[in-house]
Amino acid sequence: MSTFGVELEVHIASLRRYARALLRNRSDAEDLVQEALTRAVARADTFKAGTNLRAWLFTILHNVHVNQVRSKASRPDEVDVDSVESKLVTPARQEERVELREMMRALDDLPEEQRKVLLLVALEGLKYEEVAETLGVPIGTVMSRLSRAREAVRAKLANEGSVALRRVK
Amino acid sequence: MNAHCVTDDELHAYVDGQLAPERRLFVERWLADDPDAARRAEDYRAQAALLHELFDPVLREPASGPVEELTGKLRGRMPGNDNAAPWHARHWVRMAAAVMLIVGGAGGGWLGRGAVDQSPVVQQRQTLQTFAEEATQAHRFYTSDERFQVELGADNQDELNSWLSKRVGRDVFGPDLGKVGLRLIGGRSLPTELGAGAQYMYVNEANKRVTLFVGAPRSGNPAKFGFSQNGDVATIYWVEGPLAYALAGRMSKEDLLRVAEAVYNDVKAGPRPPEPQQQNQQNQQNPQPQQDQQPQQQQDQPPAGVQPISDTHKPKDS
Repeated sequence: MSTFGVELEVHIASLRRYARALLRNRSDAEDLVQEALTRAVARADTFKAGTNLRAWLFTILHNVHVNQVRSKASRPDEVDVDSVESKLVTPARQEERVELREMMRALDDLPEEQRKVLLLVALEGLKYEEVAETLGVPIGTVMSRLSRAREAVRAKLANEGSVALRRVK
Repeated sequence: MNAHCVTDDELHAYVDGQLAPERRLFVERWLADDPDAARRAEDYRAQAALLHELFDPVLREPASGPVEELTGKLRGRMPGNDNAAPWHARHWVRMAAAVMLIVGGAGGGWLGRGAVDQSPVVQQRQTLQTFAEEATQAHRFYTSDERFQVELGADNQDELNSWLSKRVGRDVFGPDLGKVGLRLIGGRSLPTELGAGAQYMYVNEANKRVTLFVGAPRSGNPAKFGFSQNGDVATIYWVEGPLAYALAGRMSKEDLLRVAEAVYNDVKAGPRPPEPQQQNQQNQQNPQPQQDQQPQQQQDQPPAGVQPISDTHKPKDS
């Protein structure tokens, strides 16, 4: 496979992981990525070779998500109540671990704007500038959301007595 | 000491590996003096590790049909598609680049940024040092907590190697470092700016960890061994054939060099054939006579776990 193909696939795998972490629902996440890629294909000409492909893809995904949330809000009746069942991202066996379950819960409790920043930075490893570009906010806002998100999660995990989280070595 | 000089943002940047190198030592010194701040940094790292543990399984799930299809479409439409031989793949350009590299020295990079600065394609290309920095960060991160160190264990090395080869897009394998007292415990795939990298993790008897980061640079020129010291983590890096290697560990340069030599030699020798090893294990478990009695069965049924060699990710020159 070509290097470009591999690179693109890595970014798309990354988009899928982010979408899953953001939406917590498998089919919603795949739909979001699918919609984002449809748009990316349509706009491929606007991508400048040599610029940041990853940030470009994440920005499209984010815009699609914002639109979806907006249109869902205008049709509140269509919220899918049954989808709660499919919310389990990881095998049940994995979520049995207390700190994983608590992390998942702490993530859910974050305001969405903070959750996005935390996921883009800590899970997807985007640079702060890339996150700012993706979300269309100043870098100072990225930093303050990141800080608040991390402290909120920290407080949650500490409350649950997750001493085990401390580094072992 | 100087605690007030380090900002909150810098603590985050330190955790995320985005801190300017000249500030890193400063922050590390501060963390050594301030247990509260050090605990915060550790908690932030633990959060990230938990997130990876929760959501990295998605990376191994197959994408839905439409997503696969769209990926293919996008690949065909995007500029920078190296199926269509971009300018830098043309023979004379590569020759010129090679000459530049020799003349300019290029500080150990595989294509000096300075050499062809105006091209955005080149601007995006990572230097070998950046690769080594990523390896160092990854080492720091994934050795920080024993529970999150690997995505896939080394119990089945074939599976580990073939999965990582698929991610990297070239054949990679975890070298045998038994000679220098290191045991492979597993590996993980990490997205980097140049595509997926593979991180193999080893441990010695004293429970000390060494990681080997392998990536496929877009154009590889053999480079001399490079060395960097980042806090307490030493990293040795080089390019061999189509792959770039970075070896990181909390040890002296001399000790790490011995490990690098072992990696280098084993990589030169190529991957070990996996089957005989399994066969031996079976032989040890099963008494000999049984096998003599049923030679036919042995031939008809290949041992479990043996898979056809994949031909989908042969190394390809870009």
